[in-house]
Amino acid sequence: MAVVQAILDGLMIGGVYAVISIGLTLVFGVMGIVNFAQAEFLMLGMFVAYYAWAWLGLDPLLAAPLAFVVVFLLGAAIQRVLIRRVLKAPEVAQIFLTVGLLIVLENAALLMFGSGFRSVSTPYQTSSLQLGPLFISVPYLAAFAMSVASGLALWLFLKSSWFGRAMRATAQDPMAARLIGIDADRMHMLAFALGVGLTAFGGAVILPYLTASPTVGTQFAVLMFTVVVLGGLGSVAGAVVGGLAVGIIQSLSALVFPIQLQNLVLFVVFIAVLAFRPKGMLGAAR
Amino acid sequence: MSGLSPRHWAGLALLAAFAIALPFAFEPRGYGIRILCLALLFAAMAQSWNIVAGLANQISLGHAAFFGIGAYTSTLLLIHFGITPWLGMFAAAALGGAAALLISLPTMRLRGHYFALATLAFGEVMRVIGNSWGGLTGGPVGISVPFAQPSLALMQFRETRSSYWLMLAALVLVTLVFVAIKRSRLGYRLRAIKENADAAEVIGVDTTRTKIIAAVISGALTAALGTLYAQFQFFFDPDTVFGVASVSVRMAMIAIVGGIGTAAGPILGALFVIPLEELANQVFSAQAAGLSQLVFGLLLILVILIEPRGFMAIGPRLQRLFGKGDRR
Amino acid sequence: MSAPLLEVSGVGKRFGGLQALSNVSLSVEAGEIVGLIGPNGAGKTTLFSTLVGLHRPESGAIRLDGRDLVGLKPHKIAAAGMVKTFQNVALFLESSVLDNVLTGGLMRHSIPDARALARRCLERVGIAAIAGKLARDLSFPERARVEVARALCTEPRVLLLDEAMAALNHAEMDAFMALLRQLREEGLTLIVVEHHMRAIMSLCDRLVVLNFGQMIATGTPEQIARDPAVVEAYLGRSAA
Repeated sequence: MAVVQAILDGLMIGGVYAVISIGLTLVFGVMGIVNFAQAEFLMLGMFVAYYAWAWLGLDPLLAAPLAFVVVFLLGAAIQRVLIRRVLKAPEVAQIFLTVGLLIVLENAALLMFGSGFRSVSTPYQTSSLQLGPLFISVPYLAAFAMSVASGLALWLFLKSSWFGRAMRATAQDPMAARLIGIDADRMHMLAFALGVGLTAFGGAVILPYLTASPTVGTQFAVLMFTVVVLGGLGSVAGAVVGGLAVGIIQSLSALVFPIQLQNLVLFVVFIAVLAFRPKGMLGAAR
Repeated sequence: MSGLSPRHWAGLALLAAFAIALPFAFEPRGYGIRILCLALLFAAMAQSWNIVAGLANQISLGHAAFFGIGAYTSTLLLIHFGITPWLGMFAAAALGGAAALLISLPTMRLRGHYFALATLAFGEVMRVIGNSWGGLTGGPVGISVPFAQPSLALMQFRETRSSYWLMLAALVLVTLVFVAIKRSRLGYRLRAIKENADAAEVIGVDTTRTKIIAAVISGALTAALGTLYAQFQFFFDPDTVFGVASVSVRMAMIAIVGGIGTAAGPILGALFVIPLEELANQVFSAQAAGLSQLVFGLLLILVILIEPRGFMAIGPRLQRLFGKGDRR
Repeated sequence: MSAPLLEVSGVGKRFGGLQALSNVSLSVEAGEIVGLIGPNGAGKTTLFSTLVGLHRPESGAIRLDGRDLVGLKPHKIAAAGMVKTFQNVALFLESSVLDNVLTGGLMRHSIPDARALARRCLERVGIAAIAGKLARDLSFPERARVEVARALCTEPRVLLLDEAMAALNHAEMDAFMALLRQLREEGLTLIVVEHHMRAIMSLCDRLVVLNFGQMIATGTPEQIARDPAVVEAYLGRSAA
C-alpha cells in the first residue's frame, strides 16, 4: 500500500512539475534555446504569492494568476532586452546569457527579499482527504488541480487561438511563418513570457506546502531539465508525461533512499536519457 | 605562425620576469597577494576548460566535478595515508581524467545545449555525492587539510609568495599544454569538429576519440588544480569545490570574458574577473549579501551582449576601426 | 576480369516514411570515372552520404576492395580510401584555406607533411593564390574548389564529387575536367554527380541514372542518351 500511496503522491507533485517545466520546453521549441534561468521564475512566482499573502491576505492559490501576470510582463521585457539579441548568436553566448540571468535573478532576490525562508499558513495546510486506505494531502491536491487547469488553459490557447497556432507555426518553420505574415519577434516574446509566467504560476501554487527562498530555484533546476529531457525538449505533451514520471520516480525513490540521494536518482535518469534517448522517451523531436 | 619573432620572445621574457618579481611588490602574507594567487589559479582552471570549450566548442557546465575530485583526492590521501600532495596531485589528475572519460562515453554524441545540460547534471551528481557520503568527505561541514610545519615537501608554505610561484608555474604549464594542443594534430582536429563535425568525420577525423582525448586532458588538469586549491585554502566543502556558480560557471566566464579559444584569454579574464569580484565583496558584502554575485552575473550578461569573443576581440576591433592592418 | 574496386549491392535507405534509396547496386572498376545523374531528389546525394558512412543503410552491402564498409564510421571509410565532397559545401569557415585542406592530410601525415601536401593539392585545383584567406571570405566557386582540394588531401582511392563544377565558367570547367582526367591517370577512381550534361558526357566512361531512389539505367554516355527510360525520367518530369 505504501507503493500505491507513493505513486499517488508522485502523480500529485508530478502534475506541478509538468506545469513548471512546460515553459522550458515551450521556449526551446519556439526559439531553440535552453533557458538555464527558468527555475528562477518559479522562485519569483513564489515570492509574488508570498507577498500577496503577507500584504493582502490573499491565498497563494488565488495569487497564482497574479504571479503569472507579473512574471509574464517581466519575461516579455527580458525577452525584448536580452534573449532576442542572442537568438542568432553562437550557442556559447545563448547558454551563458541565461546562466548570467540565473545568477542575476537569484542574487537580486537575495538583495530584495533577504536570505531567510518564508512560508505562508493556510487553513488547509495540514488537512488531508481519506480515500479508503489512501490519503491525499489537500495542498498537494489543490496544487495539482490548479496545475491541471493552467495546463488545459495553455493547451486550449495553443490549439485554438490565432496566437497559439501562429506560435506553433513559428516553432515548426520560422521562414514559412514569416511568409504568411507572422511576426516571429512577437511570437518569441509571447512564448518566453508565457513560459516563465506559467512557471511562476506553478511556483505560487506550491507555496502552501513549500517554503520560499531566493535559492529555491537550484532545487528545481535540474528537476525541470530532467522533466523536459525525459519528455523530449520542445514537446509540450512530453513535458506533461515527463513531469508525472519525475514525480513518481521521486516519491518512489523516497521509499528506498535517504532524502539527499533522491536527487541522485533523478540525475542518473537524466544523464541516461540524454545519453541514450536525447530526443526524449516519446521520441518527439518537436 | 609556428615561430615567434625575436620581438615577441623579448616581450614574453619581460613579461615572465615581471610575473616572477611581482610578489615582492606585495606584503608577503597580505590580502593582495592572495587575490593574485586565486587569479592565477582560476586562470589555469579557465585554460583547462578552454581545451574542450574553446577548441572543440563542447560547452561544459560541469567542470566543478573534476575540480572537486582533485581537491578531495589529494586531501584524503594526505589525511589517511600521509601522502604528499605532490603525489596526491597526480592521483587527482588520474581520477579526474578517469571521471572525464566516464562522463564522456555517454555524452560525446551530444552537442550544444544538450551537452551543457548533461555536464551540468554531472557536476551536480558529484556535489550531491560529496554532501551525502559524509564518511568519506566529511559531508556538508567540509574538510580541513591537516596543517603541518610549512614545508615544500608537503606543499605548505610560510609565505603566500611561494604559493604565488606555484600557481604561476601551474598557469604556465596549463597554458603550454593548451598551446601545444592547439598547434598539434589534435588541435586541428578539434577545430575541425568545432566548425563542422560531419565534414571532419568524412575527411578522416575520429570525432568521438578526439573529443574524448581532449575531455580527459582537460579533466585531469582541472583535477590537479583542485589539489592546488585545497593546499591553498586548507578548508573546503562540497558546495564550494563542486559548485556550479563558484567553479563551473566561473571557469567558463573567465575564459569567455578574456576570449574563448585563445591562450591569453583566460589569463586576461582571470586578472580582470577575480580582483573585480574581490573588490565587490570588499565594498558591498558588509551591507548586502548577494551584491558581488549580482555584479558577477551582470558582467557575464554584458560581455555576452557586447562582445561574446571577449577582450581578445577588442584589439582587432580597434585596429579595424582605425583602418590599420586587416586580419592576416 | 578482376573484381571491381567498389561494389554496391542492394543498398536501401529510408528516412521516416520516405524510401530514399531502394535496392541500388553498382560496381566501379579501379580508374573509372562514373557519372551519377538523375532528376533533383533522385537520391544522388543520399547515395554519396551512405557510401561514406554518414547514413547507415538498412539493407545491402558496400564493398571497397572486397571489404564491407556498412556500419563503419565515416573516418574509418576515409581511412579505407573513400571520401566525398559536400554539395552544399561544408568547410571549416573560421580556418584558413590552407588549414582546411591540411586537416584532410592529417589522417596519414604529420603537420609539416600534411601542409606540404595541402599546398600541392591547392596548386592542382588552381587555388594556391588564396591559401591564406579565411574560408568564410571566399566566393561560392572558390569554396567548392577548396572542398575538392581538402578531399584530395586525404589521398583517396575513390573520390565522390557532389556537384563540384557548379558555378564554374567554361574555361574553369575545362581545366577542372583536365585535372580529373589526370587524377584518373594517376590511379584515382571517381564518381561524379553533375548537372552539366556537356561535362558529364565528355568526362565519364560510364553513367548511372537514379530516379526516385532507384537505379533505372547504366551504360556509356551514348547508350544513356538514347535510353528511353532516362529520357522519360528527365523529360517526363522537369526538363532541368
